[in-house]
Amino acid sequence: MNRRGLTLHRAALGLAGVTGLVYAAMLASLLRDGWPLLSWRFLLGLPRELEAGGGVAPEILNTFSMVMMAMAVIAPLGLAVAVQRVEYGRDVWWTRELDRWSRVFLSVPGIVVGLVAYRVLVAELGWPVSILTGTVALAVLNWPFVAVSAGDALAGVPESLREGSLALGTTRWQTWLFAVLPEALPSLVNGLGLAAARMIGESAALIFTAGVNVSPHWGLAAPGETLAVHLWYIRTEGLMPDATGQAAATGIVLLGLVIALLWASQRLALWLERRH
Amino acid sequence: MSQPPAIRVADLSVWYGAQRALTGITLDVPAGQVLALIGASGCGKSTVLRALNRMIDRVPNVRWQGSAMVGDTDVLGPAVDVVALRRRVGMVFQQPNPFPFSVFDNVAYGPRLHGIKHPARLRKTVEDSLKQAALWDEVRGKLRRPARALSGGQQQRLCIARALAVKPQVLLMDEPTAALDPLSTAKIEELVRELKGRYTMVVVTHNLQQAARISDWTAFLEAGRLIESGQTGTIFTTPRDARTENYITGRYE
Ligand SMILES: Nc1ncnc2c1ncn2[C@@H]1O[C@H](COP(=O)(O)OP(=O)(O)OP(=O)(O)O)[C@@H](O)[C@H]1O
Ligand SMILES: [Mg+2]
Repeated sequence: MNRRGLTLHRAALGLAGVTGLVYAAMLASLLRDGWPLLSWRFLLGLPRELEAGGGVAPEILNTFSMVMMAMAVIAPLGLAVAVQRVEYGRDVWWTRELDRWSRVFLSVPGIVVGLVAYRVLVAELGWPVSILTGTVALAVLNWPFVAVSAGDALAGVPESLREGSLALGTTRWQTWLFAVLPEALPSLVNGLGLAAARMIGESAALIFTAGVNVSPHWGLAAPGETLAVHLWYIRTEGLMPDATGQAAATGIVLLGLVIALLWASQRLALWLERRH
Repeated sequence: MSQPPAIRVADLSVWYGAQRALTGITLDVPAGQVLALIGASGCGKSTVLRALNRMIDRVPNVRWQGSAMVGDTDVLGPAVDVVALRRRVGMVFQQPNPFPFSVFDNVAYGPRLHGIKHPARLRKTVEDSLKQAALWDEVRGKLRRPARALSGGQQQRLCIARALAVKPQVLLMDEPTAALDPLSTAKIEELVRELKGRYTMVVVTHNLQQAARISDWTAFLEAGRLIESGQTGTIFTTPRDARTENYITGRYE
C-alpha cells in the first residue's frame, strides 16, 4: 500500500473508531440511567404522569398491535405491487412510474405523513386520535418500503428459475407461487423484518394520529401511544420525577425489541435459505 | 409409451422487435431421433429451440412466421395452448437450474402441479424419472437432501429427470453440458444416446465432437439462416457448403 493509501486507511479506521465510541457512549448512558428501572413492574405496569415508578405495558401492547396490523395490510399489498411490477409488467410505462414513485415516497418524512393523516382522518372525517388512525399512518408511511424491498427480493430471483418451471408446462401463477416465492422467501422475510423494525421505531407519524395517551383498555378507537412516542413524550413533556430514568428504560426496551425482531427475522431468513 | 412425434420446421422466421433472429429455417427431425444444432454464438440456435416450446413468448415484441409441426400440431399456431405444449416439449438449459427444494421435490414438482397427488404414484414417477436420467444410483437414499447440494453434473441430470417426470414426447437441450466437466459431459451424452427412440430430441451444442457423437442429424446455422442440414455423418465428412466445412474444421472467421 502506498503512503497516501495508508493515511486514508488510517483516517477511515479512526473515523470508524470514533463512530463506534459515540454509539458505545450512547448505549452506556442509556444503560446507566435506565437499567435500575427495568423490572417486571416497569414492563407490566401503567405509565404515571406525575409520580415516579410508572410502567410501559400499554405502550408495548400498542406498539405490537399497531405494527402487526399495519404489517398485515401492507405485506400483502406491497407484495402485490411487487408482483405486478416484477412478474407481469416488465417495462410498461405505469410500472416504471409506480417504481419511481414508491422510491420517492420512501423518503417522505414520517412527520409529513402524520400531519396529512391527521388532516384527512381526524380533522375531516372525525376519526379519534387512536390506534386505528395511527395504524393507517404507519401503513401509509411504510408500504413503499415494503413494496420496494419485496420488489427487490423478487427481482433477485434468476430468470432461469422461472424458465425452468414454465418449461415443465406450469402456468405463470403456479410458477410464481411454487418456484419464485420459495426462492425469494429469505429476502422477503429480511425485508419485512426491516420494515417492522422501522415501524417499531417510528414516532413522528404517530404523535398526532395515535396520540401521546394510553387507555387501560385496548381498542381500535382507544388512544395508542407507542414506545417510541412515549420516549419522545417523556423527554419533551414528562413531569414525572424519574423522567430521565423512565426515558432511558423505555429506550432500552425499544432497542431490545428492534434487536430481537431483526435477529429473529434474520435467523428465519437464514434457516429458510439453508433449507434449500 | 406412445411413439414420439416427428418435428418439421418450415420456413420459420423470428424477429425480436425490429431485429431479425431467424430467416426461413426449414428443418426435419424424424420421430425418436436426435438433431444437433451447431453454429457460432448469436446465430439463432437457442431461438429455434425456444420456438419449439414457445419459450420465445417470454420476449416482449417477439414475432414469427412459418410453422413448426410437432406431430400433428403446429406449435406456432395462434390457438396453441402454450402451457399444455410445454408439457409435451420439455427443455433442459445450459446452467442447471434446480429449484430450492429437495431432490425428490424437484422431480415431483411437475407431476404435482399436473395433479398427481397419490404418494405412491408420485414416488414411482420420481424413481422412474431418476432412473431414466441415470441419477438414481447416486441419489437413492438421499432424496430428502437439498438439490443444490448435488454436483453440477448431478444437478443437470436432475433437471433432465425433472423434465422427464412430466412425460414429454420431445426433449430440447440448450448447451446442456456447457457448464460441466468432461466426466459429467460424458454421462449426459451417454444419457442422450439412451433416451433416443423414446424421445425426439434437439440438442444445441458448441462442441462439435459432441454433436458428432450424439446426433443422427446435424443442422448448421449462420446469422439466422440454415446453411446446411443432413445426416450427421455426411455433414461432418462431406459437407456440401464451404461455410459448413470452414466451421467444422475450425477455420471459421
Ligand atoms: N430476448 C432477446 N431480445 C432481443 N434479441 C435477442 C433476444 N434473444 C436473442 N436475441 C438475438 O437473437 C439472435 C439469436 O440469438 P440466439 O440466442 O438464438 O443465438 P444462439 O445461437 O443461441 O447463441 P449462443 O450460442 O450465444 O447461445 C442474437 O443476435 C441475439 O442477440
Ligand atoms: Mg444460445
